[in-house]
Amino acid sequence: MSPLALVLLPTLLAALLIAVLRRPPEILALVGVSISVPASGMLLTMAFAGKGYTLMMPGLPGMPLLLVSDPLSAVLSVLVATVATLVMVHATGYMRKDGEKRRFFATMLMFVTAMQLLVLAGDWLTFLGAWELIGVSSYLLIGFWNRKPGVAGAATRAFLYTRSADLGLYLGVFVLIGAAGTSNIAATLTTFGTPALIGGLLLLLAAMGKSAQVPMQDWLQRAMAGPTPVSALLHSATLVAAGAILLIRVAPMLPAQTLVAVGIVGGVTTVVAGLVALAERDLKRLLAASTSAQYGLMLLAIGAGAPVVALLHLIAHAAIKSGLFLGAGVFQHSRGSTGFEDLAGAGREHPRIFAGFAISALALAGIPPLAGFFSKDAIIAATLAAPGGIWMAVLALAGTVLTGAYMARALALLWRGAPQKGESGDELQWMGLGMGVLVALAAGLGAAFPRMEWLLGDAPPVSVLAMFLGLGASLLGLALGWLVPGARLLGPLLPWARRGFAVGGGMDGMVLRPALAMAQACNAVERRIYDAVLAVGRHAMRLGRGTRATDEAGIDGFIFGLASATEAAGRRARRLQSGLIHRELALTIAATGIIAAALLVAPLIY
Amino acid sequence: MIPELVLALSIGAMLFGVGLYGALSQTNLVMIIMGVELILAAALLNLVAFWRYLHPEAIEGQMFVLIVMAVMAVEMAVGFAIAITRFRSRGSVEMEEARELKG
Repeated sequence: MSPLALVLLPTLLAALLIAVLRRPPEILALVGVSISVPASGMLLTMAFAGKGYTLMMPGLPGMPLLLVSDPLSAVLSVLVATVATLVMVHATGYMRKDGEKRRFFATMLMFVTAMQLLVLAGDWLTFLGAWELIGVSSYLLIGFWNRKPGVAGAATRAFLYTRSADLGLYLGVFVLIGAAGTSNIAATLTTFGTPALIGGLLLLLAAMGKSAQVPMQDWLQRAMAGPTPVSALLHSATLVAAGAILLIRVAPMLPAQTLVAVGIVGGVTTVVAGLVALAERDLKRLLAASTSAQYGLMLLAIGAGAPVVALLHLIAHAAIKSGLFLGAGVFQHSRGSTGFEDLAGAGREHPRIFAGFAISALALAGIPPLAGFFSKDAIIAATLAAPGGIWMAVLALAGTVLTGAYMARALALLWRGAPQKGESGDELQWMGLGMGVLVALAAGLGAAFPRMEWLLGDAPPVSVLAMFLGLGASLLGLALGWLVPGARLLGPLLPWARRGFAVGGGMDGMVLRPALAMAQACNAVERRIYDAVLAVGRHAMRLGRGTRATDEAGIDGFIFGLASATEAAGRRARRLQSGLIHRELALTIAATGIIAAALLVAPLIY
Repeated sequence: MIPELVLALSIGAMLFGVGLYGALSQTNLVMIIMGVELILAAALLNLVAFWRYLHPEAIEGQMFVLIVMAVMAVEMAVGFAIAITRFRSRGSVEMEEARELKG
């Protein structure tokens, strides 16, 4: 069996087994995801040895479905498998008392399988299928607690927002397939000229939707309605990452104009989402806004022409952000809320969890020697090295300052306040275990970056200036965030940030209302057609009723009248039938006489 | 006007009158049938006379007479069969008593 199948099948089978068996779902889920870790690890070691795998399945004529393991997909596959496993460990504790954990674990496994499929997809059709599966499973997971008010709405919103941007993916993929004549991703990357420009912009639209970039950023914060392990997975290695992964994949193809567009989107998002995060009153929503901001940084790196750097930041961010979310899940578990008012002092109750949270936060802010430091510096260096990229560097530095500020703000709000007597026990151990490993990864992943750069064959530019600028920006941000309340830091921007910088009414204004207006217009047209059809029907009914009346009174009346007249005539004629032969004979003779007389008279008349 | 033809037609008319009277006046089924036979015989006589004195060359007249004679024989057979059956079942062939065919 190909190792590719070994990556995909365990999680899929575990999901099916959970659906079929009524055994404890945690164990099956853990077994499933933990098998896929060594399998994807095997892909990675093979990639280091310079060996890739391809699995071809029959698809459309001339467009087979491909699964490909190359250095990029191997790295991402390991990332997905690892994060998924650790999140699953955490979820074992988090979901212990939930009555519907079978559904939860089965859907989570489907989610992970879909993401692995997306990462390993070697052709656009598989990619599209996996993209759709991710959308569906994220919808199911965000809406997991569907009995709570507002949760189903949040899930639908997230689904529809990402769906509306998915249109870009479909059109972009069609443009690429049409231009290259094949659905093989590697082959389509040689596209150039206008198809590459248009296709790239369309794919950027899809990535903006999935990765929650400005102006489509606000669905991500509303998607916090789901269980926290879902958010951890969603933000780090799956749903949101899909957009960035898509752009990293197609980056070699993008012409300069598209790259500039990517950079602008990313740069604006990292600043705007950073400001939003500063204004948030809810821990999970703050983390969500920070996710948008970090993916903005990745897009900035892609725009600067350094997709490998974006990938490094994606990996670092996956470990960091899932750790942060798992920590938030622990706090949420002990206080029953994620609002900052309710969480004040929660950090003191779980000092070890808080320490892990703080390490992850510092890693995100970019403090050496944690993973975020290396990736963030690489981004700043890449923007500095890009031709005409000074504005990108400014945006990246602003994003770094904001990252430090909002993470320090979160830490301050969690630490300051009176501790309450929180619950602790078995569940906390599971949750802590998953988080601990992720924090260790967040801290130590930086050491693995040179190896990955070598594997991906693209060493990012090294710049001492970038290092100092980045470190200075991080420290500045951390100091500001710790010392100054976020509201005062924002100053006049506060009301804007509270509203999530809803440009042009946000998604509501740009997608929802036009879509609603269109739906209403369609409805009006529809109604008119409906009325017309109904009127035709009504006239036909009237015609039918008239025909029936004519039929009953006219034709039927005529026929019945004929029948009854015949019958009456027959009844009258019966009276002549005496049964006596004489009389009958006499009648015959009389009739014959009449006929004879008629025959004699007739020639005289004519 | 051919005198033989007139004579034959006169005899036919007389036969017809006798037959008609017989058929109408008698109440016995056998007698009625005999009356009817006389009427048919009168018709046959007329037919033969017309053929003999007006169109002796046409063979159709003879054919027609032969066919009518066959019909007469069949009619006799059926009529007498009815009479015998009625006599056997009712003991009489008086037609005044036969009212079963009233409509």
